[in-house]
Order: sequence, then structure tokens, then C-alpha cells
Amino acid sequence: MRRLLDSLKKSFKTFDKGMREDATSLIRKQLDEEENIFALLTMGVFSGIPSPPTGVVLRILPHMSREISVMTRRSAGLDDVFAQTLGTFDID
Amino acid sequence: MKVYFFLGKGGVGKTTVSAAWSAGLAESGLKTLVASIDPAHNLGDAFAVRIGDRIMHVGDNLDAVEVNIEDMIRAYLDDLSAKMKNTYRYLSAMNIDGYFDILKNSPGIEEYATMEAIKKFVALKGYDAVVFDTPPTGMTIRVLAMPRVSLLWTDQLIKMRKRILSTRGMVENVQGKFEAEVDGERVVLSSSEKEDPIMQELVSYREELRALRDMFSSEQSYVNIVTMAEDLALFETKRIIESLGTFKIRVRTIFLNKFFAMANPPEEIKGKIEEQEGVIKRMKAEIRGIEVKDIPLLRKSPRGIDELLHVYSKYLV
Repeated sequence: MRRLLDSLKKSFKTFDKGMREDATSLIRKQLDEEENIFALLTMGVFSGIPSPPTGVVLRILPHMSREISVMTRRSAGLDDVFAQTLGTFDID
Repeated sequence: MKVYFFLGKGGVGKTTVSAAWSAGLAESGLKTLVASIDPAHNLGDAFAVRIGDRIMHVGDNLDAVEVNIEDMIRAYLDDLSAKMKNTYRYLSAMNIDGYFDILKNSPGIEEYATMEAIKKFVALKGYDAVVFDTPPTGMTIRVLAMPRVSLLWTDQLIKMRKRILSTRGMVENVQGKFEAEVDGERVVLSSSEKEDPIMQELVSYREELRALRDMFSSEQSYVNIVTMAEDLALFETKRIIESLGTFKIRVRTIFLNKFFAMANPPEEIKGKIEEQEGVIKRMKAEIRGIEVKDIPLLRKSPRGIDELLHVYSKYLV
């Protein structure tokens, strides 16, 4: 009985986690986009985009690894924007 | 503390005037530091002593330093690189050394380092006055404008960051702590402004920039121009006043340097003298509300504190 309850609990947890992830997937995409823009704006100097004064960039650079990683990931996927958009809306 | 800047084209005599000014302030009893932030230093030549990039005593109440901007940039980037390697162990994947090679030659890095040098010397305790011998006009104007321009960017980036943190907060509300994978490592990212290092860095930089901007436009800051009696120098002087005005920085005094003042000039230079007199007349008519002080061409360039003090008491006060 206990084992049954445990496995039920576990499957509800998984179900709950799945639902929560599904509910936030669009917001996560939006967050990725916001972080990507932030990185492009501040780190754009590396790819020729006009950037803020060097002082501002240097101050935040040590903390920008997450944003740089999002930017790099987003740039890598830029050749397949259509698939990304379809993926966002769960269209197979 | 009072802060004095001497701006002007290359070769107009900024170093001599700043050195004489600082010697005069020290003589009047003010503990004074004179700092050359011009990459082509010759402050040491004016004082007739060797001055390095460490503050040294050059006279009663008077210290001097010639800032090595390139060394400052190198030291700052080395420090930044070490900080980054300590904060993120997985950064090696990002080829961080490549970034630093670019940064060393990045546009604006010299202006940034110069602004940092000004910030550093102005924050020093124990001085009543700091006198800056500046690089040629264009760069100095960019340095003086930098706090205001950087503030515009910092304000906008803070707004963007707030939005990112608010979106993170939405995810956090549904899913609990926000975790992300950065180069193979799980990292917990906070949605709180107080815990987000980028937000903290931007906010503290904004405070520093505001303090510097307010200092440049304050009553304690004396921005002066050193110029010569030539048409081009007059145009440049007017341009400096105008561009500094847009950043709310007021020019206090113009030092008109190196013009001929002689009772019986030889025939060969009479034309030049007439030309100079014309420029001086126009300068005094066209630039209003700013005191103009005359420093005629001296028989000999002043060297050492005694000669500088002579220039100060005769022409600058």
C-alpha cells in the first residue's frame, strides 16, 4: 500500500513538474530573448554592434557568462529560426 | 577639495600652466597634487625633476605624478581577468583571453582608464587641490563627457535588467528557484535585484558616475582652457566652450599663452604681431563671461619651482 502511495506521489510530482514547465515554457522563451538582447547590447562590441561606453561593459563583464552563453546558443540556432518558432508553439 | 583641469590643443603650454598653477596653490598653503593624464608626459620637464607613475614629493605642499594610462589599462584588465576566472570556473570554454586581446584595443578604453585615474586622484584624502594636466582637447572632452553619456546607458540597462529579473520572477513563482545550465554547470539564478550581480554592478557604477558628473559640473571643479593667439586656436576654444556647455561643464578661465608682447618688434614679425592682436581682440569680444588671462611669450621656458612660481605670481593669479 505504502509503495503504491509512494509511486502515486512520485507520478503526481512528475506530472506537476511537467505542467509547471509547460506553463512557463513561453515565459522562459521570452526570458531567453530578453537576456539575448541584453547580451547583444552590452557585448555587441565583439561582433561589431555599437555598444555602451567601455566602462559600463567592463564593470558587468565578469557577471555576464549566463547572458553570453544564451547569446551564443541563440546565434547558433539563427539558421533555423522557422523551426525554433514552430517549436515554441508546439507545432510538429 | 578643489579640482582644476587645463585643456587645450597640443603645444599650447598646458603643462607649463598646470605646473605653475599647482606650484602657486602649494605656495599659498594648499596641499596640492598635480597629475599628468596626458599620455605624452612632460610634467617632469616643467619641474626639472624625474616624475614617475607613483605620487612623489616635488616641493613644499606639492606632490606630482605622471599617470601611465597603458599600464593602468593592462593592470585593470589583468585584475578583471583574474576576477572572472575566480568567479566562473567554466569560463575557459569561452576563450576569455581572446576577449581581452580585443578589449585592450577597444574604442574608448583609453578614455575609460583616464576617467578612472581622475576618479582615483580626486578620491585621495589629504589634498586640498588636485590639478590635472590633460591630453589634447578631443580626448579630454570625451573623458569629461563620459560620466553623463555612460549614465544614459546605465539607466537604460538597469531598466532592461529589471525587466529580465521580473520575467525570471514569473518563472520562479511557478517553478521554484530558477536554475539554468551554463557551460555544463547548473547555476541558480536569482530574480532579486539585491542578489543579481549585474544589477548590483550597474547600480553601484551609476552612483560612481553620478558623483563624477556632479563633481565635473560643481563649483569645486575649475575647467580652464590654455590657448594661443591664432585663428585655429580661437575656433577650437569656442568649440570647447560649446561642447562642455552641452554637458553642463562651465569654463572658468582662458589662459592666452605665447603671444608676442614687445615695444619695438623687428620688421620680420610685425605682420605676425598684428595678426595676433586681431585674434586677441576678437577672442575678448566673442567670448563673454569668461575671464581671459594673458601670458605673453616668455624669454625662456620656465623650469623648476622657482621659475614656475614667478610665472604664477606675474601672470596667473
